[in-house]
Formats: sequence, C-alpha cells, structure tokens
Amino acid sequence: MLKVAQQTSKQILQRNSTKVILCLFSIILLYAGIIGKIQYNNFEKIRIKYQNEVRSSWVNSPDKHPHRMAHYGYIAFRPKSALSVFDYGLESYLGNAIFLEAHKQNTTNFSEASLSTTMMRFGEISIAMILQLLFPLLIFFLGHNVISSDRENGTLKILIAQGLNMRSLIIGKILGVLFVSSIIFIPTFIYSAILHFSISSFNNEWTNFLCAFLLYSISIIIYSCIAVCVSAISNKSKLALVSLIGLWLILFVALPRSTQAFAEKIYPTPSKIAFESGIEEEIIKEGDSHNPDDKHYKNLKDSILRTHHAVSIEQLNFNYAGFQMKEGERISSQIYNKHKQNLNRVFKNQNNLMSYTGFLNPYICIKEISLLLSNTDFETYLDFQEQAEKYRYELAQEMNDLQIKLIPNKKLSDTAKTYSISKHHWATLKDFNYTKPKITNLLKNNQIPILALIYWIILTIVILIVYPNKIKVL
Amino acid sequence: MTYSLLIKLFLRSKVAIIGLSFLFFSGVTSILIGKEFISKQQKKVETTSFYQKNHISKTVKFQQNEMGLLLYYLKFAYVNQVEPLTGLSIGQRDIYLGIQQITIRNLEEKKYDSDLSNPAALQLGNLDFSFVLIYLFPLIIIAFSYNVISEEKEDETWKLLCIQSKNPWYIIFQKLIIRYVSIVGVLLLLLSIAMILLEIPLKEAFLATILISILYVSFWFLLISWIISWQKSSSYNAISLLSIWLFLNVVAPAFVNNFLLAKYPIPEALKTSMASRDGYHRKWDEDKESTMIKFYKHYPQFKKYKLPEKSFSWLWYYAMQQMGDDEASTYSSAMKLKLLQRENVSNITGYFLPSLHIQLQLNNLANSGLQNQLEYLDSISSFHEMKRIYFYPKIFENRPVSEENWSSHKVAFFIQKNQVNWLALILPPFIIISILIFLIFIQISKIIK
Repeated sequence: MLKVAQQTSKQILQRNSTKVILCLFSIILLYAGIIGKIQYNNFEKIRIKYQNEVRSSWVNSPDKHPHRMAHYGYIAFRPKSALSVFDYGLESYLGNAIFLEAHKQNTTNFSEASLSTTMMRFGEISIAMILQLLFPLLIFFLGHNVISSDRENGTLKILIAQGLNMRSLIIGKILGVLFVSSIIFIPTFIYSAILHFSISSFNNEWTNFLCAFLLYSISIIIYSCIAVCVSAISNKSKLALVSLIGLWLILFVALPRSTQAFAEKIYPTPSKIAFESGIEEEIIKEGDSHNPDDKHYKNLKDSILRTHHAVSIEQLNFNYAGFQMKEGERISSQIYNKHKQNLNRVFKNQNNLMSYTGFLNPYICIKEISLLLSNTDFETYLDFQEQAEKYRYELAQEMNDLQIKLIPNKKLSDTAKTYSISKHHWATLKDFNYTKPKITNLLKNNQIPILALIYWIILTIVILIVYPNKIKVL
Repeated sequence: MTYSLLIKLFLRSKVAIIGLSFLFFSGVTSILIGKEFISKQQKKVETTSFYQKNHISKTVKFQQNEMGLLLYYLKFAYVNQVEPLTGLSIGQRDIYLGIQQITIRNLEEKKYDSDLSNPAALQLGNLDFSFVLIYLFPLIIIAFSYNVISEEKEDETWKLLCIQSKNPWYIIFQKLIIRYVSIVGVLLLLLSIAMILLEIPLKEAFLATILISILYVSFWFLLISWIISWQKSSSYNAISLLSIWLFLNVVAPAFVNNFLLAKYPIPEALKTSMASRDGYHRKWDEDKESTMIKFYKHYPQFKKYKLPEKSFSWLWYYAMQQMGDDEASTYSSAMKLKLLQRENVSNITGYFLPSLHIQLQLNNLANSGLQNQLEYLDSISSFHEMKRIYFYPKIFENRPVSEENWSSHKVAFFIQKNQVNWLALILPPFIIISILIFLIFIQISKIIK
C-alpha cells in the first residue's frame, strides 16, 4: 500500500504541469498571506487610534447636562479577528462602526464592501479561500488519472493479478495524492502560523488555529478520496477529469449562489422601512413620550406623584424628566431588541438552509466551520452588535440616572444658563470593550455544519470499506 | 450540405442539449431573480411614500407650535431609483441603502447608513444575469469546444477527415461557427426574454448591453479557438482553459481587489462620522457667537436673523447642526476621493480583464455600481441642502405650521443620467479581440505551411 503511495506521488511529481501548478499555488498563497496581514494591520491601527480618540473625547468633555452627553454618545468600532489574516470570511461585508446614542439604534456602517468597487464581488483571496475553493480543484487535477491511467495502459490488470487488492490500491493512491498535496498544504499552515503569531502572540486562538488545521486536513482527505474514486470508475482519464471539473463547478460555483437565491425567496428579508416603522408603531402603542396626551406617561406621572405625596413635579426630590426618559429608553430598547431578534431569525433561517446543503456539498460545510473558527462569521457579528447595543443602553441609562439624581426639577427661565453637572462623572462610564464569543458557544449554536462534517467523515470511511469491491478491474 | 449535417450532429450530442438548456434555464432564473429584486425595490418605495404621508401628518398634528421642533422630527425620503436594466446586473445595489430618510439636521451622520442585509448572502453574491453571462457562458463555451480538434485526433477520425475532405480545417471552422451561433442565439433569446419580463426600453443602454454581451462571448470563443489550435490533448485543453477561466474570473480580480484595499485604506470613512459628531455636539459647550459667525459665513443670506437673548433658540440649534456637516466635509470629500481612486484603478484593471470590464460596464449601464452610489450620495446632499434652504427662513421666523402645504412634501427620486461612453465600452474588448484574431491567423498560417 505504501509502495503504491510512493509510486503514485513520484508519478504525479514527474509531470511538468504539476510543478508549474504547485509553483503558481505557492505564489498566490504567499500573496494572500501578506496582503491579509497588511489589511489587518492597516485596519487595526486605524481602529485603535479612533477608539482611543472616542474614549478621550468622551472623558474630557466639559461640564454639561447629562442628557447632552447621552446624545453625544459613543462610537464603537468592530475589531478585526486576529484569524482574519487566515480567513477573511464575511469581514468585508460586515459594518465597522456604529454610533451609539440615546433613544436610537443606529446601523453598523462602513463595511469594506460598501466602500469598494464591483471588483469586490468577484471574491477575495485569503489563504482559507484558496484552501476551500482552489485546493480541491488542485487535488482533482492531481488525482484524476491515478487509477484510470493504469487502466488505460493495462497496468491495473497486472497490479491486481500480482495480488494487490483493490482497497489497498485505492488507499495507496489516496495517500499518494495526499502526499503531493501536503507539499503545499503543510508549508501553508506553517506560513499561516507565522503570520498569526506575528500579530497575536500566544493566546487561546491557537486552539482555533489548530482546529482549522485539522479541518482542512480532513477536507483534503475527503477531496482526495473523491478524486481517486472517480478515477477508479472512469475508463478514460479524460472522462475522469471532465467529470471532476463538472462536479467542482456545480458544487463550488453554481450551487451556493442558487441556494442563496432560494433561501432569500423562502425567508425574505424585510425592508428597512418596514422594520423601522414596525418598531415605531409598537413603541407608540406602548407609550408615546412625544404625545402630550399619551395615556401611559400620564398614568406614570400620576402614580409617581401619588406615591411621593406630591402635587406637582417640582415637589419631587428627583428629576422627573430623567425618570420619564429612563422609562422610555427601557420600553423602546425592549421593543427594538424583540424586532431585531426576529430579523436575525430571518437571516439565521436563510443561513441554516445554506448550512443544510453542507450535507450535499463538502465545500459549504468546510467553509462555514472555518468561518466560525476564525471568528469571521455572522454569529460573531451579531454578538458584536448585541454588545454594542447593550453598551448603548447602559450609556443612556447611566446618563438618565445622573439626570435623575443631580438635575433639579425646577424649570429654568428662558435666559438662564442650562443645568450642568461636573465632568468627573463621565469617566465612571467604562470604555466599550468587545469580548469575543467563546468558540464552544459558537459551535453549540451552529451544529449543522459540524454534523455535516461528521457525516462526510463517516461517508468517506464507508465508501473506502464498501466501494472498492464493486469496482471492475477491466 | 456539410453545415446541416454538422448542425444535426451537434444538436444531437448530449453536451449540446445539456449545455444549452443549462444556460437557458439559469439565464431565465437569473432574469426572474432580477425581476424580483426590482419589484421588491418598488414595493419599498410604495411603503415609504405611504409611511411618509402618515408620518408627516401625524407629526404636524402633534407639533403645531414650533416650526423648529417640527423640523427636528420630520423625515423626507429620497430614493435612488432602479432602472429596468438593474434587473440584469444588480451590482452593488444590494449593499447600499437605496432609500434614505433624512431630516434637515446633520446629514453626514446619517448619509452612510446601511441597509438590512445578510452579510453571508452578500458575500456569496447574486445569481443575476451578469453572473450567468460572466461565469457560466464561458464554461459552457469551453465544454462545447475544448475537444473539437483533439477529439478527432484522439478518436482517430482526424485521418479520415483529412482523406475525405479537401480542407479539414474548414470543417473545424464550421463546427466552431455552429457552436458560436448556438451560444449567441441563447444569449439573444435570454436578452429578449429579459426585455419583455423586465420591460426594458429599447434604448441606447440596452443596445450597449447587448453589444458588450456579444463581444464578451466572442472573446471567449476566439480565446478557445486559439488555444485548441495548438492541437494539444483534450486533457491539456480542458485544464488550460479552466485555469484561464479561474484566472480571469476568480484569481485576478480578487488579486487586484485585495491589493486595492490594502493600497488605499479609507480611514476617512470612520473619521467622517467622528468629525460630524464632534462638529455638532461640541458646539453646545462653545460660545454661541463663534458658531453663529461660522453659520453666517456659510449662509450670508441669513445674516438678518439675529440670535435672540434666550439660552436656547432654533437658529442656534440649526447652526450647530450645520457645523456637524461643515466640519466633516473635509473628511467626507477625502473619502470620496479615495473611492474614486479605487474606482479608477478597477476601471484600468478592467482594460486587461474582460470579465471585470464587462461587469463594470454592465453595472454602469444598469446604474448599480460605485459610480452610481457616489452620484446618489452627492445628490442626497443637494436634496438635503434644498430642504434646508427652504425651511431655514420658516424656522428662524417661526412661521405658523399651518401655513405650509405639508402634503406637497412627497418622496423624491434620484435618477442617474445615463450616458453611454461607447469608447470605454467597446475599445478594450475590441483590442483584445483583435489581438486574438491576429494570433489565430499566425497559428493558421503555420498549420497550412
């Protein structure tokens, strides 16, 4: 078996075309890594600079009314994942900055894609993209004729007649293809490890990194198995090659886009206007703080006055406007979060449908697990948005609390200077610090691709056990 | 005689039937997806105008006293209109927000708001007609033609052909022509279906679309003809053609795009939102006079409105809001410059990559590229400015709310003027095609010798 493997890899490496293609691959991989690192460094440098600027301008704001501060707000920047050097994932399509202010949930803006030309839509080169999309094609190319050429020139008969069984032959051939692939694959991972190490020294992301290595190792075994099996059943190498290319086109080019279109059809994304007006309507139904005759706020005022045995607001020992805003903020963000979750469910449904095709299409399942491991997936993005929204809520309520506690109820005359509080209060609001979700949580919430991967592993083993006996030698 | 025989032969082959029907069905699907996209946009516009009518009448009812406070709340929608052609090439339209609802307050904070979208879907891209044309058509052309010569040699019918026919190369030529005509036929059929389903007017932009589509298909045919004329094996042809397809459609554009992003980072984007936030909010802490001086400098015509002796006035408030935009303007124009730079580099790259060139041109014709977005953004600014100039005097004089005819404030539209730049459209593919024809001629003259 090992002899077969040795022989096969030697044969493949003897071809001139192999050498050319391996060289091209190395160049693209090197480029992808370098450019990934440059982009990461560019982005993080800018982000950290601006994040500090936002923080210092918050802390150094002069004395003012806390509600002014609540409107001044904060800007949260989304940090790039360190492993995005390896797998950009959705990075370019995710918003990078979100303005956090009282009363209002803003969108996350300035995704790289929104600042790009159409060229972006042709795809991006990252090391993971090459391993996901182009590497299988390389394996198909290396492996398409490993058995069919033996059949064409009659050596297959001789090999079997010499007592070699079909299973060891196939496994040997797979090992041969794997050996040649690893000439690129192993250095690629060492290279990625160096790149990764150069931006983030040892931390827990190394587990993710090693998992990614394992994932892609499994992927090349699966693809090698497919290539060799197709070669085994083809009478001619030419036919094996054309079938493998056809398979690649269907699985890697045609299927993902059509599935996406289908998912959007079944679970349509609501329009922004419908989403926003839905929230607005529900908030007004609950209590419209802008309507002077609103029932909710009238009742609230009456009950507060009653419990504090006061006749008018001015008699209260806390700021009523602040109290009312706190209530408004609570209601509106509750409603917003509910709608946002519904929206996210639509997106999740669309993505799950895609994940299910991972059972038909190893490309999808490997791509999705790789995204999760690199923290460049949709779930991580939602997590960022949730943390930013939570921070926004805390900011608004902390400013409301300051107003309740420190601002008098008495209305000032038109010409008097507005109430303000000392600037030392601003520093009590802690900085926005995004913490990445735990990988175990991500995997727990995204079981479909994991199950699909397990299915592919089992399927590969089963095929290697059952299939070889059914292949005709002649 | 030979033609009809060869046509029969071709149309009876499995490859032809599968290939042509695959193109046809994926083409029709893509057109339907485009139609869906357009009708979704139209529905959004309808929802928006319905919303706007309600929103204005309700807000006006609650805020009868102060024009300044009313205009704090009022939102006016401004729509980037879709063309029927957008259905063929959705381009970047799924990324950008096509309907902006703006107040007359600070614009720079709102202008770059994003749409609700699923990033995973955006990354995969749309299955629109341009995808079918750019990615799938060449593949089917490759499948049809890669073995036209090599097959004859490998099946050993070549010798037979040489004996029986005076000029075997003429038969090869005929075979390729049949394939070319059938592919162009499907292309034209799809475009006419699109014309009916999407109600595309038969105007310059559509004619240009048809022309570059045909040029693109012709480019691939010539490229393939040249490669197969080297008379290598079928496997060699298949691998080299697929590699070329991968290079032109996947690797090269991604290669350049990544370079572009790394070469021209846009920190100005983030800086713009910070500057506009500081530009406005900091004014609350500053001396009112200095804000007003800046405001009067921007709008000398409003000098006659003097700041009242009150601690708060709408004149001061809107002057502060104005500063948000004014102080962000250096960054936002720097950002625009960077975006134009990116656009420029990709246009130049397109001269060498036919796939990129046709995608950029289709998006230009369909008003769905970055160029359109930039023009829309400029146009939002003018729309916003128009509303400001209109309402500022009314606010500063605190005109009665009832005086205004509020129902006249309807949803407004941006329609990009479409001018086909024929030279940029045709010259690059024309040059590449001429080079290929030249190369094929050299090859043929070698063979004949």
